[in-house]
This record gives sequence, C-alpha cells and structure tokens, in this order.
Amino acid sequence: MPPDFWRRLTGTRTREPSRALTLTAPDRESIDLASYLPARLRKLDTLPERAAPLDAQTRVEVARGMNRGAGVLAGSVLFDSAIEHYRGGFHNPAMFFPLVSSTLSIIASASGVGDNTPSVRRERHVAYAAAAATGFAGLAFHAYNVGKRTGGFSWTNVFYGAPLGAPAALVLSGLLGVAAERVRDAAPGQRPRLYGMPESRAIAAVTSAGLAGTAAEAALLHFRGAFQDPFMYLPVTIPPVTAAMMAAVAVDGRPRKRPVTRFLLRLTAFLGFAGTGFHIIGVHRNMGGWKNWTQNIQNGPPIPAPPSFTGLALAGLSVLKMLERSRRE
Amino acid sequence: MATDDGMTAPRAVSGQAPDVFRRGAWVPMRQYPDSEEVDFVIVGTGAGGGTLACKLAEHGFSVVAMDAGPYWRPLEDFASDEAEQQKLYWRDERIVDGDNPIDMGGNNSGKSVGGSTVHFAMVSLRFRPEWFKARTKLGYAVDWPIDWREMWHYYTEVEQALAISGPVSYPWGPHRPRYPRRPHPMSAAGEFLASSAEKMGIGWSSTPIATLSAPRGLAPPCVYRGFCVIGCSTNAKQSVLNTWLPRALDANAEIRDLAMVSRIEMGSRGLATGVHYYRDGRWRFQKAKNVVVAGYAVETPRLLLNSACAQFPDGLANSSGLVGKNLMPQSNHGVYGLVDQEIRWYKAPPSLSITEHWNYTDTGKDFFGGYAYMSQGPLPTAWAGSLTSSRGLWGEKLVREMEKYNHQVGLKIVGEVLPQEKNQVTLTDEKDAYGIPIPRITFSYGENDKRLYEHAVRFMSQQMEVGGARDLFVESDTAHLGGTAKMGDDPRTSVVNADCRSWDIPNLWVCDGSVFPTVGGVNPSLTIQAIACRTGDRIAEMARRGELTRRTTPA
Amino acid sequence: MSKDHPHADTSARYPDYDVLAKWNTPSWNDPTRAAVGQRLQVRDEPRFLSAERFRILKAVCDRIVPQPTDRMNKIAVAGLVDRMLEQTESVGYRRAEMPPLREAWQRGLDALNDEAKVRFGAEFTDLPAGRQDTVLELLQQGDVRSSAWGDLPAQGFFKHRVLHDITVSYYAHPTAWNEIGFGGPASPRGYVRIEANRRDPWEAEEKQGAVHHGD
Repeated sequence: MPPDFWRRLTGTRTREPSRALTLTAPDRESIDLASYLPARLRKLDTLPERAAPLDAQTRVEVARGMNRGAGVLAGSVLFDSAIEHYRGGFHNPAMFFPLVSSTLSIIASASGVGDNTPSVRRERHVAYAAAAATGFAGLAFHAYNVGKRTGGFSWTNVFYGAPLGAPAALVLSGLLGVAAERVRDAAPGQRPRLYGMPESRAIAAVTSAGLAGTAAEAALLHFRGAFQDPFMYLPVTIPPVTAAMMAAVAVDGRPRKRPVTRFLLRLTAFLGFAGTGFHIIGVHRNMGGWKNWTQNIQNGPPIPAPPSFTGLALAGLSVLKMLERSRRE
Repeated sequence: MATDDGMTAPRAVSGQAPDVFRRGAWVPMRQYPDSEEVDFVIVGTGAGGGTLACKLAEHGFSVVAMDAGPYWRPLEDFASDEAEQQKLYWRDERIVDGDNPIDMGGNNSGKSVGGSTVHFAMVSLRFRPEWFKARTKLGYAVDWPIDWREMWHYYTEVEQALAISGPVSYPWGPHRPRYPRRPHPMSAAGEFLASSAEKMGIGWSSTPIATLSAPRGLAPPCVYRGFCVIGCSTNAKQSVLNTWLPRALDANAEIRDLAMVSRIEMGSRGLATGVHYYRDGRWRFQKAKNVVVAGYAVETPRLLLNSACAQFPDGLANSSGLVGKNLMPQSNHGVYGLVDQEIRWYKAPPSLSITEHWNYTDTGKDFFGGYAYMSQGPLPTAWAGSLTSSRGLWGEKLVREMEKYNHQVGLKIVGEVLPQEKNQVTLTDEKDAYGIPIPRITFSYGENDKRLYEHAVRFMSQQMEVGGARDLFVESDTAHLGGTAKMGDDPRTSVVNADCRSWDIPNLWVCDGSVFPTVGGVNPSLTIQAIACRTGDRIAEMARRGELTRRTTPA
Repeated sequence: MSKDHPHADTSARYPDYDVLAKWNTPSWNDPTRAAVGQRLQVRDEPRFLSAERFRILKAVCDRIVPQPTDRMNKIAVAGLVDRMLEQTESVGYRRAEMPPLREAWQRGLDALNDEAKVRFGAEFTDLPAGRQDTVLELLQQGDVRSSAWGDLPAQGFFKHRVLHDITVSYYAHPTAWNEIGFGGPASPRGYVRIEANRRDPWEAEEKQGAVHHGD
C-alpha cells in the first residue's frame, strides 16, 4: 500500500513526522487506592493543578493512538457482526447497519492514524458519531431480541440470543473516535473537556468501562463454554484488573507515569490478539475442524471478538501518554 | 486383510482395544486368560455393566467385561443413515405378546460395547426423591431400599463423568450441583414445547443432556446433526463407550467385544464359578470369583433363567420367583401436529426441552406416578413408521403427509408404568443362532398405566393446540425397560439387595435397569449409572471388610 | 474418490434441492457414502424372493408408496425390501402370532396374491390399481377370504411387514429425502441455524406456500 494511500483517501495534509520527546524517569505510582479514591471522587470534574496543557504535536500523537484503538474495535465489530448477522441470515435489513458503520469507522480511523496534523476532519467526526449511534441502536435492538425470546432474559437466551457486547464495542469505537477528534482539535494551551469531564479522565473512564464490559461479555461466553480450557480464564482476570487501573486513572487524573497500568494495558492488548489465536484453535477443536469451516466459523468461538481488548488497550495507552506528557517539566 | 468392520471379528484382542477417539487407532488393554479367576466378570457393557466395570477396575479389582456387540470407533464406523445404523440395535429375535406387545429392536436395546447408550437420546434426569419411597410417601407400588440422598450423591458423580450439559438452575426437585456444561441453544422443535408450556402456565426447561456444549479432550461439542438416536458419529455424545470404558481400560479392565454369554456356571458350594461365552468362533469359559449380570431387563433374566441347574432348577437368584417378573417399560405416548413455521426437526438433539411438571405436581391427577415429556425430532424412516403404525396411512395419503415433514412438531412422554408380576420375560422353546432359548416378552398395561397416559395425551393435545399446532394425532409407544430382577430389603420379595447382590448366590450380582423396583417418569440411564457407581463403591467397601465370598483384594 | 456425485430426482416442494449434491461436502462422511452408495446401486431385481413373489412385491410397493410418473429414476423399493430380507433374519422381535420375518413375507405375498384371485379372479399383478388398493384395504381391515392365509394374520402381515418394511425402505432413499426436504446425512458438518424458519445454505429451500397446498 503506498504510504500516501490514506492521505489521498481521506484528503489529509502531509506533515513531517514529529520528533520524539525525551521522557523523564517514571513517577512513583500510587496504589493506595482505598484511602485515595473517596477524596478524589469529589473532585472528578477538575483537572489537578499541576497538569500542563499539551502541545499540538502531542495531541496529534495521542489522537492517532486513539484512532488506532477505535479502528481495531471497529474491525472487530465488522468481522464479528458480518459472521453473526450472516448466521442470522440478515433477516432484518438493519442487520447491515453495523457492517456499514464499522467500515466507515475503520476508514475514519485509518484516516486519523495517517493524519499527522492537528486539523480535525468533519467526515471522521460524523463517521464516529454514526458508529456510536448505530452501536446504541444495536444495543437496544439486541436487548429487545433477547427479551422477546421464550424465557426472556434467561441464561440460555443471553448465551445464545443477540449479544450485547458486539454493539457495545461499536459504541466504544465511536466514542473513542469522537474523543480522538476532540483531543486533536483542542487549541494550544486549552484544557478541553469531554463528556462533561476533563478529556483524559473521560477517555480513561470510557476505556475502563469498555474493558470491564468486554471482560463481562467474555465471562458470559466463557461461562457458556464452561471454562473448558484454563486459558479461558485469562480474559476474565487480566482485563478486569486493567479496567480497575483505568478507573483509578479516571478518578485520579494526575499527570504522571504509570508503569504498572501501562504494562497491564500492553498485556491486555496482547491478550486480544492471543485470544484470536486461541479461538482459531477453538474452531479447529469443533467437529471436522477447519475443513468444516462453513459450520465451525459460525458455531465455534468468535475469532474476531478478542481484539476488542486490543482496541481498548490502545486507547488506554494513549490516555497514559497524555497524562505523561502533561507533567510540568 | 479382512475387513475390520467391528462386526466380523472381535477388535479388542492382542493387548489392545479400539481407540474410540481416533480413526484406526488403538489403546493398550490388559488381558486375562480364561483360566485366570478374575475378581469380576461382567456380562454387558452398557449403562450398568460399563459403568460398574470402570468403578471396580478403578477400585483395583481385576475385571473382564463382555458384550455381545461390536466395539465401535464412532468416527469411522457411524454413518448418517438410519438403515445402516440398525447395526447398533439388538436385532436377535424376541417374541412379544400380551395385550400391548412391546416393540423391541432399536427402541430399547443396544448390541454394542457401550450398550444402548451408544444410541440413547442422552436425556439425563434424576428421579424425583419421593419415588425412592413411592409406597411410603406417595402410596403406590413399592419403596426402594436406597435413600434418595445417597442417590443424589451418585447422580452428581455420573453428571460429572458425562459432562452433562444442562440449565444453570433446574426448576424441579431439591438442589443439585450445577451441571458441568451449559445448556445447548434451543432448537425450533424444543422452542415449540417451551412457548406452548408457557401458554399452558406450566414450567419447562432446557433438558439436561449427555452431549457436549463445549469441547472435552478429544471430543468436540455437538454440531446439531440430529442423528443422536442412531449413534453419534462425532463423539459429542457422552456414552458409556467414550466415557466410562476408556477409564476402565486405563484402570486395567479388559473389554471383550462380540462375546455372547450363554450360561453362568455354578460350583459345588453354591457359588458362581464363571461364565460360558461364545467368541471368535468357539465356546469358552471364563473363570471368575464374582459374576455380574448387566444385560438389561430382557437379557438379564434370560441369562439367569437359562443358567438353571440341578441346584437351582428355576434359574439363578430366583428363590423369590421374581426373575423376569415385574417387567416395566415406560409409556411413550406422543402427540404430533402440524404448524406453519418451518421446524425442520431433523436438526439438533430431538429432546432439547422438557417439562417435568407432571412428575412434581400431585394435584389434578387421577393416577399414581408421573410423566415427563420432551420435544421430538424423528428421522424420516422413524417418522414414516409413526404415520403407518399410528394412522395406517399408505399410498398417496402417506406420501402427501410425509411431505409435511419439515412442519411437524411433537411431544412425547416418558411415563411411569407400575409393576405387575404378569408382565414378564420367559424363555421359549425356540433357539437363537447361539442355541440359546429366545425370550418371550409379555406386557399389558394396567388400569393406572392407562389413566396416566390418557391424562398425558389429553394434556399434551391441549398444549399442542394452544401452541398453534393442528391436525393432531396420537402415537402409542413404549420406551426403556426395567424391573425383571428387582432390588429390595426382603429376599422373599426381591431378587437382589440394595447393593445389587443376589440374595441366593452371594457372588452373583445384577447391575442394570432390571433392578429398578419402580421406573418413575424419567429416562433411566442416569439412575442406572448412579446405581452402578454406588454398587462399585459398596463392593470395594465390602471387600475391605472381608464381606465378599472370595478373597478379592483390590490391588 | 471421484469428484462426480450421483444425482437424485428433485421434488415439487423442494425444486432446487438434491441431497446428493452434498455428496462431496463435509455433510457426508465415508461410512455414509459407502452405505448410501450401495443403496443407490440396488435395482428392482430379486435376490432373496422368488421371481414370482418379487413381481407381487413390486406391485404392492407401487401402491404403498406411489412414485411420480415423471420421476426419471424411480426408487427400487421392491429391490430394497428384497435386499433387506436377504441380509436380515429379524428386526429384533416379532409378535407371537407372526412367523419369522422371511417366512412372513413369503407366505404373506402368496396369500395376498391368492386373495386377489379369490376376490377378483386375477393375479394381484394383473389387477388395475384401484382393485389392487381394494385388496390392500381388505388386508388392512383383516377382512380376508383366501385359505392361503392359514394361521398368518393378514392384518398383522399388512401392518408389521407390508407397511413397515416398504415405507422404511422407501424413506431410506435420497430421492425420498428430496421429496420431504430432509437435510440428509450430516457429519462432520451438522447445522448452525436450528431455530424456526431458518435454514443453513446446505438445507432444502421450500417453495413458498407449499405447506398450504394439498390436503
């Protein structure tokens, strides 16, 4: 793919790559959350005094990282909903929406990742907002679908009815994408707010909630699979811890280094890809293995689902970068 | 090389047995010479015999388990074809009579290593606790000599061994531990039962079922191919063949396939000394310290009766005169109907949904006992059999009705039949290919049995109607067997005691559905296996206490 | 194995469906191809029954499971029943009043033919279809006059042998599976869509409204 492919596709301006910033030694990371949280919670909507505004270049970098996360999430949604809605025979035309919307979200994300300028693109913004809206509609539709089945919200129906996690991932892709645009767009020296909160906290909160929700989805489906393989416990142990750490970031919000959180986010990002590998093996363990792919790709574990963790973790790493870069020198 | 189809020549020979999980592969097997007096020789490897073989071998006893049927490797031996898979059934001739002659063959017996669990519908239900005290608590038939709480423990053991897929919580009966696997998705056929049950205001549930909803070792999860009752070609079904028997082999049991036992030999001290059996073209004799008969409710009394000798002229273990008596099938009446939707009931295990409402409700009944009913999904020739036997259809009428196959739904009961001594298995003068007398199976419903299935037919017809089905028709059928060597606390009124040990011959045991004093309104396989587990543990305990007739010290 | 697969006649209700088109797909495994392949080879020729009895059986099959006149390759139902008799001595049981399987068929076909002679003065095979149906109906009702029945119960012979064995043979054939829209063999590949009104791409598509047609 030519290097200027996305630029041409999305019409972004070219700009020299940014110079790498020299990082100072990591700050001590507070883990004494118990005594810390209540005090901080009261000041949720304020940014700690010590934070410095981000320069334009850092903002672009952070935004691109979030575009990447939003794109991976949208990719997961695209392939997952393609398989699941194919399985559902597209009996409702609305079942095409998430495919279109996630595709647009992927294109917007690619555009953002390839865009080294602080300029915001209205098309990206619209695509992301549409993704979030489609995701919310999907959530409602899937909940309705489960509820109307015989037995209502029974275990069997939440196991096998329309999943809530998939449209939620589309919502997250949209929210992170919108946030990416807002981060990119802020005027120099400004401390922008998102969703009624300081931006870094807002994104950390979205990431935390996303990780928790995705882990909950994995927990539900791995419970359905009776945790028959010990590795099935990974996505219900590591991401929840990561989610808790990101919640702490959202509450704390102080500009400093967080090596433990960063490590957990990287581990979670890796887990997303590893999950796909496990699921490929899982499909093979179904009757007929990959030779019977026409069935097993639909009935086996969902191959495109785990990278949702990766997408969220990438967004989380961007938040950390934001907070690190806004430390006062 | 001769064709290794499993049916021509025994496979479990030369120190190896077929590996049920791999095509053409073998697993090592300990073998015992005929002349070695093994601790236990077990006749039959189904839900009773196969399970007990595993338990006894794991307790350290030397075990030889024989089966008249072939030792299959499902992956390479099983076709998706009703006609071909008749090979799983016991098709040796039997004579049926009485007012309501029982259809045998595929319906209720298997001729395979693993017994009829190789083709069972996998429905794995616990008895209602009160049934173990049916006389005392519910006022009918007889009590079992076993307490339900003990059974509850062994049910759990079996459910774990078979990795039963079941609902997260089961709506009837006392608490039970969570099923090892989650329920399967609901099929259209199962959904019909569920939605119509809700309209009737009664409970329903995903059926606890012995087919995997997630992989287990080399066994893949169910692919919903729907051929369960003619044999599972994927190993998703958790049968005795691919659960207990691999464990038994690991624990040094020997399995002998294509081994037909004709007679139990009695010694001078009133103890059994071994069994005569036919295998690989000749008659042999296996010496044993203990003999366990586990041939199910027809072959078990047949063997005991055919082993009559000077000392026991009426057959073995028969001082009560009850060997072969009290034969109980379960009523298996069904109501079928037509709906507009495409159901395509050939897909998925047929009985994915169930209601035990009439097992656990005692009001509004004009009969003793109970029944469960489940969704249905007969394959084409079985469905043709229903239309011809129940409605006498043929010609254009039959062809037109068969064309509606994909729009049919049905509900069928497993209904309790009460014991009557006149329902029995006896021997005829006619001989089979081995020269063993052919059994005669005599059965007539009693008044209570009729009231039960009439109640069921009325109720299910109503449910079919509120569920939107039309053109209803009723099928009369039976399923499962029990009762022909009943257990009890009194040697005068039972054949074996609670430990499945015969009253008359202390080293002769019976371990299969024939020991059931009552059959309840659920499929029997889970209970048979639970009894086998209990018997295995009890025998080990008795051996430790020196209460077995011969010194059988677990290794 | 050859890439070519055998073909079966399709049906009016499922016009685009041929279960044999799945021959080389994951829906069919080797044991199934072997078993069904053998069945497809069976021709309407006797191997167990005498030629005379086989002719009667064939005429009976034509009435029990009539096949569409435009069907290119008719199912050799009589051949399948004959093969079953050749290979099987018992279906696992028999009613006390019935003779063993093979004997029941031999005596039953003779008696049925004699019944046709007694009633209509002609061999069963020479009767027009309507008369043949009448003879079969009389059997079904147990209203028989021929002395050839002896102690063989005509009703039992009709229900347990004629109806059972012929229909089971017919509906074991892929062409009959096409007729009823049965998914057919399914291993290793089973099904994904098991809820109502849904089907996998490898299942028969029903012609719209077909369920409301006919009786």
